[in-house]
Amino acid sequence: MTYKINDGIAFGILGPSGHGKTTLLRLIAGLEIPTDGYVYFDDELMSGPGRIIVEPERRNVAMVFQNWALYPNMTVYDNIAFPLKMAKMSRHEIDRRVREIAEELELTRVLNHYPKELSGGQMQRTALARALVKNPRILLLDEPFSNLDAALRDSARALVRRIQRERKLTTIIVSHDPADIFSITDVAGVIINGKFVQIGSPADIYNTPATTIIATLSGDINLLSAKVVENTALIANLRIPLGKGLINDNEVIIGLRPDEMKLLMEPQDIRGFIDIGKVRVKVSSYTLGVFRIVVSPISDENINIIVVSDEFIEPGREAHLLIKPDKIKIFNKEEKLIYPELKNLITAL
Amino acid sequence: MAIPTLFFGGIIVFLLAWNFVVSLENWSLFNPVPKFVGLASYFYLFTQNYFYTSISHTILFTVGLVAVGNILGLLLAALLYFLPNNTQRAVYLSIFIYPMAIPPTATALVWLWLYNPQIGIDWLLLKLHLPSIPWFATPLNTQLALVLVEVWEYTGLAVLFYLASFLSVDRSIIEAARLDGASSINLLFRVLLPNSMNGFIITTALLFLFSFRIFDIPFIMSGSATSPTLMTLVTYIYYLFAYSEYFSVAAALATLVAVIAAIVIIPYALLGLKKWVFRR
Amino acid sequence: MNSKYVVRVIKYAILQLVVAIFIILWLTPLYAMLVGGFKSNMEAASAPILLLPKQFSTEAYYFDWFGFGTLIGLEFPMIRQLLITIPVALASVVFGSMGAYFFYIQMERRPWVSNIGFSIISLATFLPAQTLTVPLIALTSSIGIYQTYWGLAFAYFIFYLPTSALLMSIFLPVVPNYLIESARLDGARDWSIFWHVIFPLVLPGFLSTLIFVFLMVWQDFFTPLIIATKPSLYMLPVAARQYVGGYAILYNRSFAAGVITSLVPLIIFAFLGRYFIRGLAALGGGAKGI
Repeated sequence: MTYKINDGIAFGILGPSGHGKTTLLRLIAGLEIPTDGYVYFDDELMSGPGRIIVEPERRNVAMVFQNWALYPNMTVYDNIAFPLKMAKMSRHEIDRRVREIAEELELTRVLNHYPKELSGGQMQRTALARALVKNPRILLLDEPFSNLDAALRDSARALVRRIQRERKLTTIIVSHDPADIFSITDVAGVIINGKFVQIGSPADIYNTPATTIIATLSGDINLLSAKVVENTALIANLRIPLGKGLINDNEVIIGLRPDEMKLLMEPQDIRGFIDIGKVRVKVSSYTLGVFRIVVSPISDENINIIVVSDEFIEPGREAHLLIKPDKIKIFNKEEKLIYPELKNLITAL
Repeated sequence: MAIPTLFFGGIIVFLLAWNFVVSLENWSLFNPVPKFVGLASYFYLFTQNYFYTSISHTILFTVGLVAVGNILGLLLAALLYFLPNNTQRAVYLSIFIYPMAIPPTATALVWLWLYNPQIGIDWLLLKLHLPSIPWFATPLNTQLALVLVEVWEYTGLAVLFYLASFLSVDRSIIEAARLDGASSINLLFRVLLPNSMNGFIITTALLFLFSFRIFDIPFIMSGSATSPTLMTLVTYIYYLFAYSEYFSVAAALATLVAVIAAIVIIPYALLGLKKWVFRR
Repeated sequence: MNSKYVVRVIKYAILQLVVAIFIILWLTPLYAMLVGGFKSNMEAASAPILLLPKQFSTEAYYFDWFGFGTLIGLEFPMIRQLLITIPVALASVVFGSMGAYFFYIQMERRPWVSNIGFSIISLATFLPAQTLTVPLIALTSSIGIYQTYWGLAFAYFIFYLPTSALLMSIFLPVVPNYLIESARLDGARDWSIFWHVIFPLVLPGFLSTLIFVFLMVWQDFFTPLIIATKPSLYMLPVAARQYVGGYAILYNRSFAAGVITSLVPLIIFAFLGRYFIRGLAALGGGAKGI
């Protein structure tokens, strides 16, 4: 298929590992030879089937590698200056540009340090500085945050987003972590088995994933097999009312995101939520500021549902499970989305 | 940027080809305008007694070094492995390897003296009331004495590669075996040796190649290339060239030797070296 | 408990003793050579070679260094050897490294190029040099460098430049591929990548190769034997051969010649032996852990 990434846009690529995300980046960079197909920058042909037409060193593409690929034998200053030296810039100009970008990315203090003396965040910013310093026409980011501590990731994402917006830099970011994609990109594509299966805004992919696999890739989701009887989906003792005539299949897969549900001890009406039945709490764990509660329907211990809660709930207790009916996703037995409708999406399934 | 390497590497191939062409001619000092004579030089070579003696010597030296070098190298590597002190191990390893850094001229002359029946090793054996060894009494003795020099010179290689194989066995496996009550001998035969296949292949290939090409030590020890006692295939090439001056016959023998060497070298390089280096 | 401890101590003592015996055996030739050179001629001819000199004499060194009669002194061969070996080894390793880098990056782009290159450099490294006797002399004669320093250097390059490339091929993979790719995206061409990124990172491997090749060239007896046979071109191993036994007057002088030939290699081995051993290990694919 042909896909055109517009100038100045941040494009995200989601997908399971080993399905060709990184290969796509490397094809764009010119590090990989396409077996078939063409890569164009604007109207300029870069690679064709079986050959590289413009060598990577002449493409003016910058890439931040997963492990940052800093030159261990050079200081931070020399690392950042390297692309400029290769462009045969004057010493004075190199110095000016390196100091400017170092200032912006808060690297001034460590300019004389070697990579092995840096913290993870500093290494990542050095890699970013080295990529940005030559004003590339495209910035490629390959899992740029996966080697960072979780606590550092949000600020790193914010930094990349700010820089991308300020410079209107065409950016392509590859990640298996949907948080990277949602926080930075304008448009995202999902690659499975080397093919784009869905392209759209990150919100559209999150809300209307075309298949269950895409649903899993774009964020946590509970996928529950359900029987449909009289416009109601049944999962053990849980009953989810569906709109009249909405679903014609007898068996469906219901997708519920953990953050789109609530657990209540006592039945209570909350606007936008409906009570679908009682569950028992199995495990409560705490990650990144929220409790993740695993619950099972009262009548079936083998079904696990993950719910995000802002308070701890003791295992063994019973609770009411509430869901947002407008957020529910329904897939047919072939794991394809049947509700809600796919919106504004370019799909090639 | 690969031009110098490709140039000189290319010259080797070119020279080998040239060698082959010369071997099909009848070029010698007496016949300076060579003609194509097909395989005549090879047939001439096969009629020569020296050809067969030099083959048997090469086989003796090579098999001798590969066998003794492997066994002794394995033994010494095991001894070094069980030394608790890393520095001592490193120093001892260097001592086993230093003969390879000594120019063969020096090696040959020192061993000639060590084999001297009055004032050499035999003097010491006599002092210790041990039977003296008639090093150069018969051709076979002389040849075995040469194997001993080879062993002294090249066993360090075997020690190096066996020790490397041993040391690459995961420390935790050794410790687990120790906790299970394995003795050192058990450890050697049950854990270390089964993990030394690479060490064995490398050692055997390198000892073969070094022994197969050994020229300087037999050449100097026997005084010149004319003495048949220590003549090997490679000294015979030089003999044919420099003394008989049958250039085409020398080239024919050289071609045979090169083919034998290549049969070992190329699989070793492509299936062994390259795989070990680039496995990632 | 106590007897177990005693058994362990005895085992340890036996281990140390057995190793020590082999070490002494291995050092004996070196010892004999060193003491022999300091004996007087008479003593060297008659006294057991494993005994220390009764009278310390440097006469043999004087004799060997300046030569005597038809015997050529080792002074000029030594200088010649240094002046030729150093640049030959250095150039071999620099050019060999570049070749190795080329084969390394061709591994992924065109594996067959890399395979052929690897076969040729391995062949050149391990091939018995004697197999090239006839064409090598014919070639150097036909381009007019037979019996010259140039011819000698040329012949050394034929054998040792590919050797350097082979060893460097084994040291190069310490540079991860992603650094090379990163440098390409930073706009560096192969030449810049080699000097700015690869070379600084393989410096230890470069040193090992350099030391190894230096010692191999220094020891090479055969190449000067066929290419530089004129006494005015004698290289050290060939010149030293004049002093090898058999002649009635050469007892202590023979040992001294051995010492003079081995002096530079021994010093290098004593101080940089680690690198030489790593170079040797590379012949077997790296032997990690040594």
